[in-house]
Amino acid sequence: MAIRTHRLTFPLTAESARSLCAGDMVIMSGEIVVTAGLPTHHRLIGCLNGVEPMPMNLTGASVFHLGSYSEEKDGELQLHYINPTTSTRFNALMPTLITGFNWHAVGGKGGLDRPCVEALRQVGGVYLSFLGGGAALHTQAIRRVVEVGWSDMLMHYRLVRLEVEEMGPVTVAIDAHGVSLYEIDGAT
Amino acid sequence: MTGIGFDTIKRVTADLYDRSLRFIPADSKVALRKADGIETNETARHTLRTMIRSADAAEQSWRFVCSDSGVPVYVIKVGTQVRFSGNVRQAIVEGFADLVASIQPPLLPHVTNPLTLERGHSGRHMPIVTFDMVDDCDFIDITCSPKALGSGRWSAMEIFSFPDLPTIEAYVLDVVRKAGSQPCPPVVVGVGIGGTFDYACKLAKEATLRPIGQPHPEAMVAAMEERLLAAVNRTGFGPMGTGGDSTATAVHVDYAAGHGFTPVAVTFNCWINRRTRARLYNDGRVEIIE
Repeated sequence: MAIRTHRLTFPLTAESARSLCAGDMVIMSGEIVVTAGLPTHHRLIGCLNGVEPMPMNLTGASVFHLGSYSEEKDGELQLHYINPTTSTRFNALMPTLITGFNWHAVGGKGGLDRPCVEALRQVGGVYLSFLGGGAALHTQAIRRVVEVGWSDMLMHYRLVRLEVEEMGPVTVAIDAHGVSLYEIDGAT
Repeated sequence: MTGIGFDTIKRVTADLYDRSLRFIPADSKVALRKADGIETNETARHTLRTMIRSADAAEQSWRFVCSDSGVPVYVIKVGTQVRFSGNVRQAIVEGFADLVASIQPPLLPHVTNPLTLERGHSGRHMPIVTFDMVDDCDFIDITCSPKALGSGRWSAMEIFSFPDLPTIEAYVLDVVRKAGSQPCPPVVVGVGIGGTFDYACKLAKEATLRPIGQPHPEAMVAAMEERLLAAVNRTGFGPMGTGGDSTATAVHVDYAAGHGFTPVAVTFNCWINRRTRARLYNDGRVEIIE
């Protein structure tokens, strides 16, 4: 069966997310938010609990586990490179964040566990698998740095909102209907 | 004749690290193409092709293949007829510091103090360097294999008492299953068996550096490698863990005699399989091997 490829605008809506099936490919244009920081995720949980204000609006955002390196030059932020990090280390925090902020697209590499799959099904969200070691390809799709949140944190921990054009294709690895490509028999 | 100089070691080790970030070894590319040829899962074939495209794009633009540049790791074989004209460890430390200050694009601060979790570009025992002696050689052979979080996190070791081969192989597969989608498959699996606690891990690490497709010289071990590779690729994790037949491009096993306690160490290199290598000779020659 041929792979279905979708060109979609981000942040992804629940309707668009629900139109996707595990195994589909997505080419992304629009706005995404990236971070590779576990401390960042803990801080976001704190925001949900009223500990501190949000550094940027993340309601309904498409938030990916991507590390990035950007530098300010001539008053503008320039991005050197971007690449996914392993999502599984955020497993324990993601259900709260997905449902708390209504994220319809999350992603990175390595996947998320069953409670996260259920949270994505609840809100109408997908997990997108980015190629690890895909920095040269992913970075080509960045058009500009829109805003940066929590600049007091390490570079790759910060929340960075990016405008992207024709990013991908990335793989729908967990769909909004409870199907995860990461759940295999592991038969030997 | 002054021997191998401080500045040469400093420059070459820094250069090996820099280059290791910008392309993948030739054998890795061949292995990915071979996997693409026999893979039955369409998504997996697409991912394998994107991997080759990514490696080519990085090499052509001389940018990083992956943003996680890892920490600098060097395996150095020192010929017994080598003469040094300066401090070796200090040259490697200074080479890395100079590289951090000048490399474009810049490196993220991955060097982590394990006690405080502070991150930067330097730290105790960094770069990680191991030295071995090699008889009757007038060169040092330096392999640079930076280790990043994605593949570094899933190594494991267990010590058995007089294990039989099925027990050893079941353990290797258990470690592979726990790593699953996470170390950016298709991986190179390195397995070290026997010796002592530390030596088994060293054998596993060095096994990952062996060129893909080169079996162990002993038939019994080569057969084990073949069995394990087939079993790993039946797990179904596939490229980037989204399913397929290509979970590993190679399983490389090595062993050492030991006592009745038998450590079995398992480690991974991600699909990029970063590896650069050079030889420095007494007469000043520098030979870039890869």
